[in-house]
Order: sequence, then structure tokens, then C-alpha cells
Amino acid sequence: MIISDTLRLALGNVRQSKLRTFLTTMGVSIGIASLAGMVSLGVGLQDQFVGRFMQAGVFDAITVSSGNNGGLPALLGGRGRGRGRAGRGGRAGNPPVEGAAPETARPEPPALDEAAMTAIKGLPNVKDVFPNIRVPLQMHLGEFEELGTAMGVPMSAKDEGAFRTMSAGAFFANDTDDSCLLSLDMAKRINETDPKSLVGRTLTLSYTASTATPGAPAPTPMPTMPGMPNLGALLQMKRVDRTYRIAGVVEREPGAGLGGFGFANVMIPLSKAMEIDGQVVRSAQALLTEAPTKTKTYTSVTVKVTKAQFTEDVEDKIKGLGFQAFSINDALQGAKRAFIILDLVLSLIGSIALAVSSLGIMNTMVMSILERTREIGVMKAIGASDSDIRRIFLVEASAIGVLGGVAGIILGWVVGRAINFGANIYIVRQGGEAGNLFSLPWWLIAGALAFSWLVSLVAGSYPANRAAKLNPIQALRHD
Amino acid sequence: MVLVARNLSKHYTMGASVVRALDDVSLTVAEGEFVGLLGTSGSGKSTLLNLIAGLDQATAGELLVFGDDLAKMSSETLSRHRQKNVGIIFQSFNLISTMTAAENVALSMMFAGVPRAERERSASDLLTAVGLGGRQTHRPKELSGGEQQRVAIARALSNTPRLLLADEPTGNLDSRTSKEIMALLKDLNERDGKTVIMVTHDADLAKRYAHRIITMLDGKVLSEVTA
Ligand SMILES: Nc1ncnc2c1ncn2[C@@H]1O[C@H](COP(=O)(O)OP(=O)(O)OP(=O)(O)O)[C@@H](O)[C@H]1O
Ligand SMILES: [Mg+2]
Repeated sequence: MIISDTLRLALGNVRQSKLRTFLTTMGVSIGIASLAGMVSLGVGLQDQFVGRFMQAGVFDAITVSSGNNGGLPALLGGRGRGRGRAGRGGRAGNPPVEGAAPETARPEPPALDEAAMTAIKGLPNVKDVFPNIRVPLQMHLGEFEELGTAMGVPMSAKDEGAFRTMSAGAFFANDTDDSCLLSLDMAKRINETDPKSLVGRTLTLSYTASTATPGAPAPTPMPTMPGMPNLGALLQMKRVDRTYRIAGVVEREPGAGLGGFGFANVMIPLSKAMEIDGQVVRSAQALLTEAPTKTKTYTSVTVKVTKAQFTEDVEDKIKGLGFQAFSINDALQGAKRAFIILDLVLSLIGSIALAVSSLGIMNTMVMSILERTREIGVMKAIGASDSDIRRIFLVEASAIGVLGGVAGIILGWVVGRAINFGANIYIVRQGGEAGNLFSLPWWLIAGALAFSWLVSLVAGSYPANRAAKLNPIQALRHD
Repeated sequence: MVLVARNLSKHYTMGASVVRALDDVSLTVAEGEFVGLLGTSGSGKSTLLNLIAGLDQATAGELLVFGDDLAKMSSETLSRHRQKNVGIIFQSFNLISTMTAAENVALSMMFAGVPRAERERSASDLLTAVGLGGRQTHRPKELSGGEQQRVAIARALSNTPRLLLADEPTGNLDSRTSKEIMALLKDLNERDGKTVIMVTHDADLAKRYAHRIITMLDGKVLSEVTA
């Protein structure tokens, strides 16, 4: 028997009993909708979770620090200067900077300087490399005065993390703009009642600068002697006041802050931060121990990869260069496992409805075969084989299954949209961000269709076999 | 030989008792014969016909149809035997009520794997041959008993079998229509050379059309009379 004829006969059967087929199909569609809806919810929640991290710039970020520092320097903040730089021989007698751990006999790790950044940037799949710069300064605005740190933020952060959704105002117009972003916490400290009104106002940032900064020729360079404090620099300290327009107010996102673009109370364009960083005097000791012409090194830099999947690879390559590297990817493996379990539980719940509807298919097929017993007898008497009969009824069950699958996907989508709509109203009212709680990727559609077909085949196989094994003589006597 | 039966038996065990529907029947049918099967109700006529059709398996004995032993056939081969070797005509027509006359005739060709266009053409020709040229798209309900039996005969002929098995083909028809159906069968036998085995209650009918009359009683062959 030709397959198209099997289809013709089976679909003819389906058409014969429209109401019963419709009801069974509805049963299947509810089962598929609940299963697809549950999986879709699992996927949607995971997308939301992972997406938040993605947007926070977490997965594609690697924090690199120089080799002799164990920990997460970028997260601890601060910036050390000139630690263990080779060629600093002249000053060997001086104590190391800022109470850092004493240098050990280990081979000197490479310095994290511009050259190193260029090297890292040259690695495949690296999108961007920028230093993590935090500078200590004093801020005031009217009555308000506070000591704090300002962080340099690259322009590329504009579409990532907390900066995508500003509470008020906008991101820096360009990298050389004298503008800053305030954290919502900070803004509230300045103006409790209406923090958003601060946008457009001017914030004064003050810091102590050495006039002997590189690039700016010192007016009267004092002769320094090896092993002696640079008293000249001490004398060249001055207070610098800079005014920054408050461009926007940003709220810290949950999940942000690890890796990626950090977060501080005051954020200024990266080039501005680097400029201040070049001038600022952190402590008298630092001033005394550093040569103004020394090559600049960074405590930590952030490396952005082009795609999150390359993170591990790039991380390894950076470690190969002798630096410490850290990304959050490993920490999230556990979360992914948790989502697999969530998906399983949700699918199990969804499967219950499908199991019930598969019984519906079975019942419908048993009924259909009972009704057609005599017809099956006739078909066998005029030459239908057992497998012809089996196939006809399997196709009939399949038609119900696939129809139910299609209807179920549509139903699941509509219900998912409706729940999503309602839930988002609630989420937004609670101050959250609207998102897609239900995700319906193509593989879920294909999977739901395949699954509904499979279920109908399994449910239909018992009745179809029974039909195939009918004794033709008894079937012909049936009425 | 179209048919050779040797010591053919079909027993039904009902608890402790055994019903001998067929009891040690031996007979042969030659090509082109028109055989009438007579006998009282329950004498085993339908049982014998069903065995020849391959719808049922014998309990004992040998049954060769066109030289092939039906006992040795798998269910798949038996279905092909029903498709190609024999055409079956029932008392109650057994047409499929949801299909048109043409679809009913084409159905057995469908199981034989005949392509759609070809079987539609054949079905139309066959219906014309049995005198129903104009009733192709009519459903069984819209046809009289005689017309339905003509459709059933057309269906039985559709895979060009050499043997026609008819179980009381005129049992549900009035005498005039019965005569028309018998004339059609006689025509098929004489003109197309089909071998016909026909079960009937009507001894006159059997005498008028059959070359040979086999009378059965209690599962046994009581007598064989050649006309
Ligand atoms: N499936 C069965 N189970 C038990 N007994 C059966 C079965 N089929 C047939 N018989 C018995 O076998 C015997 C022969 O039946 P069969 O149908 O061949 O008779 P028949 O000659 O065709 O009668 P009729 O003229 O009434 O059609 C009967 O006694 C019947 O009761
Ligand atoms: Mg009978």
C-alpha cells in the first residue's frame, strides 16, 4: 500500500468523526501547552537570569591583575603603583609601596602596563582592554561634602550593565566630557527627596596633585639622590578642583559588580580618570617613593571578549602571559545546573497533563476502531494486510497528535503571553524590569511537535495493534 | 487445479464440547468451473469458503489454492492471496458506507498498491461493466441492494482474480434482482473464464447456474452432483 493512500484513508477517518477528533485534539493541545508552557517558563527564567548577567557584562569580562597578587584586586578597588617593576634597581633599598606583601624571591611577574595591555588586546577574540581605575577624591556640591573614590568607565560600557537603564539623565556624551554619573545611593545622600533632580548640576571633585607629574614638566625640579625622599615633589603638591556636570544617575543592578564594569559612587569617563590618576597623590609615602617618570602600571585591567564562549580560552592565554585572570563563568556553572533541575521539575509538572491527554488519544482510537470493526474486517477480506491496518490507525493517531501539538503551541503561546503581560505589570509595579518570562525558541516548537507526535504514536500503538490483529471473520460479523 | 482440499477439518472448541464446522472434507475444483455449495444452515458452507479465501486457518488437512498450501502462508502472504487470487462477494455486500461506489471498487486496488489514477480508471471501467456506469459517485445508501451487490462484484473483480467466492450473493435480494446478479456471475464465468464457488440456500438457483452442486451436512460433504 502506498504511503499517500494510507494517509488518505487515515485522514478520511479523522474527518468522519470531527467532534471526537476535535475534543481529543483539544485534550492533546492542553497537554502540549502545559508542557511547552512549563519548559518555556524554565527557559524564559534562565534567559532572564543569564541575560541579566550578560547585560551586566559579566560573562564576557575577565579581570586581569599582575601575577603576584592572588585575589580579586579589581573588586577590592584601589590601585597600586609601580609594584615590583624590573629596572627599578636604583631604589632597591626602599620599602615596597603601600604595605603590599613583601616581594618574594619568585621570578618577577610581568608588569601590567600599556605594553601588556597591547599584548592582551592582540589575543584572538579580545574585544576591548581597559584599566580599572579608581581615584580617591573629595566631592562637594553645595552643602554636601564627602571623601570617596571615582571610577573610570569606558565609553563601551554605555550599553552594558547598569548603564543601559539609567535612573535619570544619560551616559557620557564622549570620553573627554567633564561629566560624571552618580550612583542612586550617592544621589540620595546629596538630595534625599529628589535625587533625580541632580542631573545637570555641577559636582566639584578635588584631589591633591603633584605638579611633578609626567608630561607636565616640573617648574623647578629638585635634584634627587638615590635612597633619599623626593622632597622636591612634596613641595610641588597642590590641590586641584575640577567641576563635573552630573550627566546621570544610575542604580546598581543586582548581579553587577563582579567583573565587568565595576560600580562606584561617582563614575567619570575613563580618560578623565586616567588623567587624574596620573596626577593624584595618594599618600605622602607614595609620593616620596615614586619616580615621576616611571612607566605607568595598573593593578588590574578588564578584558572584554567578543563572545562569552571565548572567555575560558582567553583567560587561559592571559594566564599564559604570566598574569592572574579571573572570570565569573566558573561560578555560574552551579547556577546552570540548578536551572536544569528546575526545567526537569517544570517539564514533569507539564507532562502530567500530557499523560492524561495521551489516555484521551488511546480512548479515541479504541472507540474509532470499535466503530470500524466491520470496516476493518472488509478491508482485510479484500486484501489489506495487518501492517496496512496498523499504519492507517497509527497515522490517524498521529494526525490527532500533531494537530494537538500545533494547537497546543498556539495555546501555550497565547497563555504564556497573557501570564507574561500580567506578571510584568506586577514586576514593574514592584520596581522591577519587564522581561520575557516565557521563551519560545524554535527548538521548543519543534520539540513540542515531535513530542506530541511521539506521544500519539505510543498512545495509538496499542489500539492500532489491536486493529491489525482483528480476526477478519469475527470483524465481519460485528455490527 | 484451482482448488484441492484433502481431509480438511475446522473445529471450534467451546469449553468441553467441540464443534466440527468442517469434518474431513476432500474436494477439487477445476479452472473455469461454477460450483454451487448447498446445505442446511450450520452445515459448514461459509466455513469452507472462508478457508479458501484465506480468512481463516484449517484445524487439520490440506488446502491448496492455485497450488499453494494456505496452511503454510504467513498472514502477510495470506493478505496478498485475498488481494490477488480470490474475489469475495458477501450476502450483505459489505461496502464501506462512507465511500462512493468508485472508491469502494478502488479500495482493494489501493491495498494492492495500484497508483491512484490507474485504479480510478479501472474502477470506472469495472462499474460500467457491471452496469453502474452512471453511479460512480453514489454512496451505498443511495444504491439499491442489487446495485450494491454489483458494486461488490466490481470490487471483487478489481485485482483480476481467477477465483470468485460468493457467500449467498442473492440472499438479501428479491428474485428478479437475484436473477440479474446470477446472470452477471454466469457471464463472468463463461465470458471471462472466472472460476466461481457460490454458497446458496436455493437449490433451484444452484441447479440452474452451477456446473456442479456440492451438498454439505454437519461439516461433511453429503453429495456431489454434476449438472
Ligand atoms: N467462531 C465460531 N465459534 C464456534 N462455532 C462456530 C464459529 N464459526 C462457525 N461456527 C459453527 O460452525 C458451524 C458451521 O458454520 P457456518 O457458518 O459455516 O455454517 P453455514 O453453512 O454457512 O450456515 P448458514 O447457511 O446459516 O450460513 C455452525 O455450527 C457454527 O455454529
Ligand atoms: Mg453461511
